[in-house]
Amino acid sequence: MGRSVVGIESTAHTFSVAVASIGGKILSDVREVYTPPEGSGIHPYLASLSHVKAAPRVLRDALLTSGVAQGDIDAVAYSMGPGLGPCLRVGAVVARSLALSLAKPIVPVNHAIGHIELGCLLTATEDPLVLLVSGGHSMVVAFSYGRWRVLGETLDLTLGQLLDQFGRHAGLSSPCGMQVEGAASKSSRFIPLPYTVKGNDVSFSGILTTAKKLLDGGAGFEDICFSIQETAFAMMVEVTERALAFTGKKEVMIVGGVAANRRLARMMELMTRRHSASFHVVPLRFSGDCGSQIAWTGHLAHSKGVTAPVEEALTRQSWRLDQVDVPWRD
Amino acid sequence: MPSAASEGDMRVIYRGAEADLLRGRWCGSDAVFKFRRPLIYRLKVLDDAIRRQRTAREAEMIHDAKRSGARTPLLYFVDPANALIVMQWVKGRRLKEAVSSLPPEGLERVFAELGGEVARLHASGIMHGDLTTSNVLLDNDDDKSNDKELNLIDFGLAIRTTRLEDRAVDLRLAKETLTGAHSEVASKAYAALLEGYGGEVGPGEVRDVTRQVAEIERRGRYARVE
Repeated sequence: MGRSVVGIESTAHTFSVAVASIGGKILSDVREVYTPPEGSGIHPYLASLSHVKAAPRVLRDALLTSGVAQGDIDAVAYSMGPGLGPCLRVGAVVARSLALSLAKPIVPVNHAIGHIELGCLLTATEDPLVLLVSGGHSMVVAFSYGRWRVLGETLDLTLGQLLDQFGRHAGLSSPCGMQVEGAASKSSRFIPLPYTVKGNDVSFSGILTTAKKLLDGGAGFEDICFSIQETAFAMMVEVTERALAFTGKKEVMIVGGVAANRRLARMMELMTRRHSASFHVVPLRFSGDCGSQIAWTGHLAHSKGVTAPVEEALTRQSWRLDQVDVPWRD
Repeated sequence: MPSAASEGDMRVIYRGAEADLLRGRWCGSDAVFKFRRPLIYRLKVLDDAIRRQRTAREAEMIHDAKRSGARTPLLYFVDPANALIVMQWVKGRRLKEAVSSLPPEGLERVFAELGGEVARLHASGIMHGDLTTSNVLLDNDDDKSNDKELNLIDFGLAIRTTRLEDRAVDLRLAKETLTGAHSEVASKAYAALLEGYGGEVGPGEVRDVTRQVAEIERRGRYARVE
């Protein structure tokens, strides 16, 4: 099977373990997703309990189905942050235990960079302008001088939060992205919502407040979903286009949970067409949180000697991707 | 390209993210025709409204900025329904392209000058709203020359405001652009910009506004709370 790295992901609702070969093959990726009750969001403590319960099975399945022998494992990587404290700690504990018992080095990975590096692997992009859209992030980033740099981002809610919080207000259960997308596809009636672009940054809080009020006032759920998507996505694509014109990158890639939304991907594709850049979407199965993003990025980091002593393999709830040195890219 | 015809030939000089710039003649003068193209990814009704609104806003803000003495092209003509603005043609190239070729002293001088220009704009109650190095034109682009004339362009996101928060948002965007796209000179350039800004408004004001910039950064997602 060859040399590989184990990756453990537990930043939010997903507990996942994956094994990736150092040649870039995903050998296994097992997940357990915590689902909160209808109308409520992720309770960090309850999610962490669910992770604790799931951990032994997920870990065992991931290692067994990978077919990798213990001696072939180079390192154990885990999501150090950013994310929900109680959830992150479960992943860190599992990582430390596994690393100690196998006597392998521990590699801390930034979750957001994990999304990006896995996306680059799976779409075969080298130096893309990245739109990272999920429950935790909505930002436009590009690599420059040793770090992923932020060229534009949300000033308040993320796209994932916007779709989720509106969906929950309408009584759906989290995550609501797919249900909102489904409802939106049944309408073409546009209701104006606040379109807030500040330079290269966006703000979604006005959309959420207005959309909730519209729903409470009796406006159609499908019409509101349609209008939220058209407005919020256009804002995000607009700042991506500015960053693309500014940086002149030749590849554009969309990653993160909201990359699964077909309307957003379509808008991005239409935008990219005007520029001489290719467009890539992370495959659906790997758009959301998963161990693969950690295993693969863990390998990249480990190949440049990034490891942490066990007593420092802790968690960082607040850890922006632009604070992370990236020695494996030049 | 809609209605308002140039006298003679026009040629495209720049294709930006939201607008095309064409060079032509207007009432006997060299002019730039700025046309906000329809963006096909955006719903038409939304796109039309945004282009119309930004065109009107930009014309108004260029006019106001010019009145307050800012260095920006003169406004010649505006047609919001067709998302078209005609303005004075000014010589120069984008600061974005010039940054890498400027010698260290030149770089500091340019950014200090830019800081002063932004400060004057703020003092007259206008926030530019899109202070990237793409939106600054550098005239006299001879690397050895001492007086580099700056022009601010693209007022499509500008607003009338005197709030500290808005002024800080302006400076934060400049900082974001510098670290994002000009990482190698970012800290020097930003320091010079603040120095020029402070030279106009005084040290107290610059302290307030940089404190607010830090506050905005703390609000950023996953920013370390200290």
